[in-house]
Amino acid sequence: MARDHKYDILFEPIDIGPKTLKNRFYQVPHCIGAGSEKPGMQAYHRGMKAEGGWGACCTEYCSIHPESDDTSRVSARIWDEGDVRNLAAMCDRLHEFGALAGIELWYGGPHAPCMETRATPRGPSQVASDFELNIFPRHMDQDDIDTVQQMYVDAAVRAREAGFDIIYVYGAHAYLPFQFLSPFYNRRTDKYGGSFENRARFWRESLYKVREAVGDDCAIASRFAVDHLLGPQSIQVGEDGIRFVEHCNDLVDLWDFTVGDIAEWGQNAGPSRFFEENHEKPYTGQVKAGNHTDNPVVGVGRITNPDTMIAIINSGQYDIIGAARPSISDPFLPNKINEGRLEDIRECIGCNQCISRWEIGGPPMVCTQNATAGEEYRRGWHPEKFHPAANRDKGVLVVGAGPAGMECAMVLGKRDMSAVHLIEGAKEIGGSVNWISKLGHSDGKENLFRGTARGLGEWSRIVNYRQIQLDKLSNVEVHLDSTLSAEDVLNYGAEIVIVATGCHFATDGLNAATHEPIPGADTSLDWQLTPDQVVAGEKQIGKRVLVLENEAYFMGASVAQKLAGAGHEVQLLTQAGDIASYMEYTLEAPMLHRDLHRLGVGIHPYTMVERIEPGVCHAYNVWNPAHKEQFEVDSVVLCTARISDDQLYRELKSDPDRLAQEGIDAVYVIGDASAPRMIVDSIFDGHRLAREIDSQNPEMPLPFIRERRLWGDSTNEDYRTQLLNTVDVA
Amino acid sequence: MKIVVPVKQVAALDDEFELLEDGSGVDPDFLEFELNEWDAFSLEAALTLREGAGGDDSEVVVVTVGDEEAEEALLGCLARGADRALRIWDEALSDADPLAIARVLAAAVTPESPDLVLCGVQSSDAVNGATGVALAGYLEMPHVAVVKQLDYDPAQSTATVKRELEGGLVEVVRLRTPALLTIQTGINEPRYANLRAIKQAREKPLEVTAPAQLGVDADALAAAAGSRRRDLRPPDRGEGAEMIDGSPNEVASRIVEIVRDRMSG
Repeated sequence: MARDHKYDILFEPIDIGPKTLKNRFYQVPHCIGAGSEKPGMQAYHRGMKAEGGWGACCTEYCSIHPESDDTSRVSARIWDEGDVRNLAAMCDRLHEFGALAGIELWYGGPHAPCMETRATPRGPSQVASDFELNIFPRHMDQDDIDTVQQMYVDAAVRAREAGFDIIYVYGAHAYLPFQFLSPFYNRRTDKYGGSFENRARFWRESLYKVREAVGDDCAIASRFAVDHLLGPQSIQVGEDGIRFVEHCNDLVDLWDFTVGDIAEWGQNAGPSRFFEENHEKPYTGQVKAGNHTDNPVVGVGRITNPDTMIAIINSGQYDIIGAARPSISDPFLPNKINEGRLEDIRECIGCNQCISRWEIGGPPMVCTQNATAGEEYRRGWHPEKFHPAANRDKGVLVVGAGPAGMECAMVLGKRDMSAVHLIEGAKEIGGSVNWISKLGHSDGKENLFRGTARGLGEWSRIVNYRQIQLDKLSNVEVHLDSTLSAEDVLNYGAEIVIVATGCHFATDGLNAATHEPIPGADTSLDWQLTPDQVVAGEKQIGKRVLVLENEAYFMGASVAQKLAGAGHEVQLLTQAGDIASYMEYTLEAPMLHRDLHRLGVGIHPYTMVERIEPGVCHAYNVWNPAHKEQFEVDSVVLCTARISDDQLYRELKSDPDRLAQEGIDAVYVIGDASAPRMIVDSIFDGHRLAREIDSQNPEMPLPFIRERRLWGDSTNEDYRTQLLNTVDVA
Repeated sequence: MKIVVPVKQVAALDDEFELLEDGSGVDPDFLEFELNEWDAFSLEAALTLREGAGGDDSEVVVVTVGDEEAEEALLGCLARGADRALRIWDEALSDADPLAIARVLAAAVTPESPDLVLCGVQSSDAVNGATGVALAGYLEMPHVAVVKQLDYDPAQSTATVKRELEGGLVEVVRLRTPALLTIQTGINEPRYANLRAIKQAREKPLEVTAPAQLGVDADALAAAAGSRRRDLRPPDRGEGAEMIDGSPNEVASRIVEIVRDRMSG
């Protein structure tokens, strides 16, 4: 099928300085956990997007010098020839598919704690980082400024050598060039501080020097937060934002616009819970559309809808559709639009699990929607191509169509298994996503800062995408409203049985803090509830509600938001130091806290419930259990442990002889039924089993390629020479 | 108890499709085939009755008029629990109308001497709603169309059925059996076949025959046919739409003109 002509503009080439971008799809710089030290992951992840039609793909932020070291978070680095060699692999891979390669040259200043290099970051003024813990920069004198600008130039020359087409001087997210520009960081009184021209000088000079060095060969880009969202104390789009674009426009071939900073970069990488598609438009939409630049402009906003894309281009907001998350969720988004296969687009749900792993520091990126993200190299997984299974003649029964079961059945179908039956007890597929996606709302009112609690509605894209794919697969049958007993399964006639029956919340307060039930907890009572019962709405909930959360992700806080939004007086307790700790990593926490605070929810960290009585909950401080607190309540919601619904799996496994007699070769358990987990990991689990269903022992994941230095290989000689040159060792 | 269930393998259209150049139908490349939705309900009704009756002498027979492709529908019915299947085909039937199909089905059903014949109300592709009722005519059986509840009493040879009428009215009909009923969707929840049943369906009797073997020759078919499809095409583009170009003022003036014109006319 051909693409709809209304999308033609998305496929028109556009010049960026000396380079030509073949279409309007551009993967902006984003982290994946590869950097320069996992060159295979770097090359194959970006390369997958190039294969899927993206016109350009960039590295993550790429450190220009050991002084800008973000350890334990993983950046790329272009410090030496070794880095050039490793990053060249990415450039080569992109060029094979006709895509441009971009590199985002980064100097973090105080936001880079230098925990590996032990270096001292330099900054415009000695102002502590508002992102890092207890990190101060060294105030830069003119020599420091010259030195750091030379770092940019040296890095740019190395980048050109590696094969990069687009070279950024990265100033967004409040990194060094922006720190000079913003009075929030810059307290200087010399020619680099004070007036707008002075504050812009460092950035302008850096751009000039980099352009002089490589501008004939490479396009020069700059990523710039057009509004810091801090009001008059920093950059505002209507003031210095537009002024800066005009001031440096002659030195830039491509503008990459964002908003906000790194301390709250969820304002840029907005979670769907609070921000809709193209949420930066009020800021980024003013610049090009207001005739303040004639350069090509790229920008983001979790844009997955091709109609939004053409509206963005036609309105003059951006010329090029930038994407980080949508390109992770669907590396083939451009090709699917081009081929008229809009229904196959795997839309980003805005859960920010991808970001969470960068925030944690170290783990490779993951994606809820696309289980192959980050696995392109180490496991060899392709998001759109599937090998026919060697045991495709086997009939497969998948019991349970939640995240793990849906994904597993879909991938088995795509692997051309002869017959896959996906059986679900409820009247629709989706499992827990169907009720979880109804959470995340409060009262619908605007927050004090910006944004509204929109809810997790976009998470239902998990189900929509798989529903459409399952419908297309003629070898997969989906049967709803059907609960199978072990006997039904034994008689089903499947050679492979996969149990994906999910989990349930503890009804007795069993929890991660004490590993015991809570005396008096019993959600069969009409005034005590599990979170799913709150959503089901079958129990009357009283005015005063205590919500206990021991899971550290979104559940307890979401229930509190919902109930407080409906007018209940809510107290939210957790044994941890903060509620919903994981939401710090998904960048949802700041907006969540604003919402809970506005709603008047009482937040009680380090507080655990000791026992529950009608009308009162007895709690204690975890650091001093003698410190008691009583909460008078009408209803109690227990977001405590989840427990696998694995009875079916256990029953089937208990009788191997019967399994053999019925012709069942294997029984597997996946997702929450195996162990409760986050949705992203359930989908991965289902995908992994289906990808490896024809391996020798599908229950055990196959080893993946580990990109690490092997002792005794040729590169060791290089290191040995370096080692011998150090005086102390000789 | 013997129940005959005539079924049809229907064509479902892809999102985008093309017609054959001669206008005689849809290009088969754009078709997917599946069991007619209504027939899943009539089959389920038959299977439920057979299970209620118990005993070894109860039988559900599915019958279809269709080419080899249609065997998939029959196998699906056998997998769900039908006891045997009959497929009738001859190239001459490829453009047969509902009356001709009913004539052929009658020749196959009569020797079975069923207690009940359960058809779907209609097929989702042709949507004539005629085959079942025409078949009752040939079989000279009492019939009720659009049945949404069925209560069969084999001992008394009667069936009490409810049918859906406009405005939420329900008509209750009692009739003597043997009888033919056309079954509405939603009357029950059709079961699905598990993998074992799907495999075992291939072992069940599936007989293939032709109209001539049933005593229906070409003349009889021609005599039965009531209609012939001459042309299949998208509707003509409607007349009367006018695209108005110009400035908002010009557009508004033109709209006022049109409204005045129509109101006075």
